[in-house]
Amino acid sequence: MATSFNRLPPQALHMITRNPTQSSKKLGFSTFLSCAPSVDSSFSRLSLNHSGSKFGLSLDTRVRKEFIVRAEDNAEAEPEEAAVDGIVDAEGNVEEVVEVGEAKSMRKPRIKLGDVMGILNKKAIEVSEKVRPVPEIRTGDIVEIKLEVPENRRRLSIYKGIVMSRQNAGIHTTIRIRRIIAGIGVEIVFPIYSPNIKEIKVMSHRKVRRARLYYLRDKLPRLSTFK
Amino acid sequence: LGDIIVGSVKEAIPKGKVKKGKVVYGVVVRAAMQKGRVDGSQVKFDDNAIVVVGIKEKKKKKPEENKKNKVEFNQPTGTRVFGPVPHEMRNKKQLKILALAQHMV
Repeated sequence: MATSFNRLPPQALHMITRNPTQSSKKLGFSTFLSCAPSVDSSFSRLSLNHSGSKFGLSLDTRVRKEFIVRAEDNAEAEPEEAAVDGIVDAEGNVEEVVEVGEAKSMRKPRIKLGDVMGILNKKAIEVSEKVRPVPEIRTGDIVEIKLEVPENRRRLSIYKGIVMSRQNAGIHTTIRIRRIIAGIGVEIVFPIYSPNIKEIKVMSHRKVRRARLYYLRDKLPRLSTFK
Repeated sequence: LGDIIVGSVKEAIPKGKVKKGKVVYGVVVRAAMQKGRVDGSQVKFDDNAIVVVGIKEKKKKKPEENKKNKVEFNQPTGTRVFGPVPHEMRNKKQLKILALAQHMV
C-alpha cells in the first residue's frame, strides 16, 4: 500500500490543486478520519497543505476507497491507476456524482424538499417503463395507440392521429392526438404512462414547425385525416 | 355528454320525423368541451351534437298518461346517427345510439 501511494501523490496533488476552484459538499472531516485509520496520517498531511478548503475530502475519499478496496482485494496497481486516471479525466461532472455515491456510503445525503416530487416522478416513470417502454414521441408524429377500455370491451381500441402537443408533467405526461373520425374532428388527450395503454407505435412523422399544432383546428379536415 | 337536454328545432329536412319549431329532447353525443375520463384521458369533439330521443307534446295530459317520463329516453327518434359517439353512452344506458353509431371513440 505504501508503494502505490507513493506513485499516487503526483496525481493526487494535481487533483488537489484543481479542487479549490470547485465547490464540494461538506463531509465530516472527523468521520472521514475515523474511517481510514491506516492511511489517516498521510491524508491528513495532504489536506493540511491546503488549509481551510474542504475540497480535498471528496477526492481523497475516492482515493481512499480505492485504497481500501485494494487492501481488501490485493488488486493490481494498474486498475487503481486507471481508476485514478478516470477521476482526473472526468473530474468536473463526475465529482459531484462520485461525491454523492461516496457520501451515501458514509452518511445519508440530505434530499432537498424541492426535489422530492421530481424524484418521485422519476421513480414512477421507471416503474412504468419496465412494464411497457414508451417510445420517443414528439409533436408532429403520427401515432397509433392501442388502448384497453375496462368498461366491458374485450378488444383493444385503436386510436390513430397526429400528435398535436405533448405536455410534460412527470408521470402525467400527456399527448394530444387529433384525427377526423366519420367527418368530425376529435381530439383525445392520453397520459402516455397509463397502464391502460397497451401499445404506442409511431407510424410516421410530419414536419411541423411548432410545438403545439392548435392551428390544425381551423384548417381543412383533409390535413387531419389519417387512414 | 350523455345528458338529456331540451331544445327546439331550428332547421329540419323536409320529410323528417320532426318539424321545424317542435320542442325536442335530445341526448348530447358530442361536445366541444373536453370530457375527462377515469383513466386520465380527455376527449373533445369539434362540434356539439345531440340525438333526438323524444318529442315534447304541447297538449296537457293527465300525469299518468304522460309518455315523456325521464326514465324512458332510450329510443332515438331517428334511424341513423351521424359521426362518432363516445363511450359515455354506455354508462348512460343509451345502447341503441351506440348500436347505430358509425364509430365509437
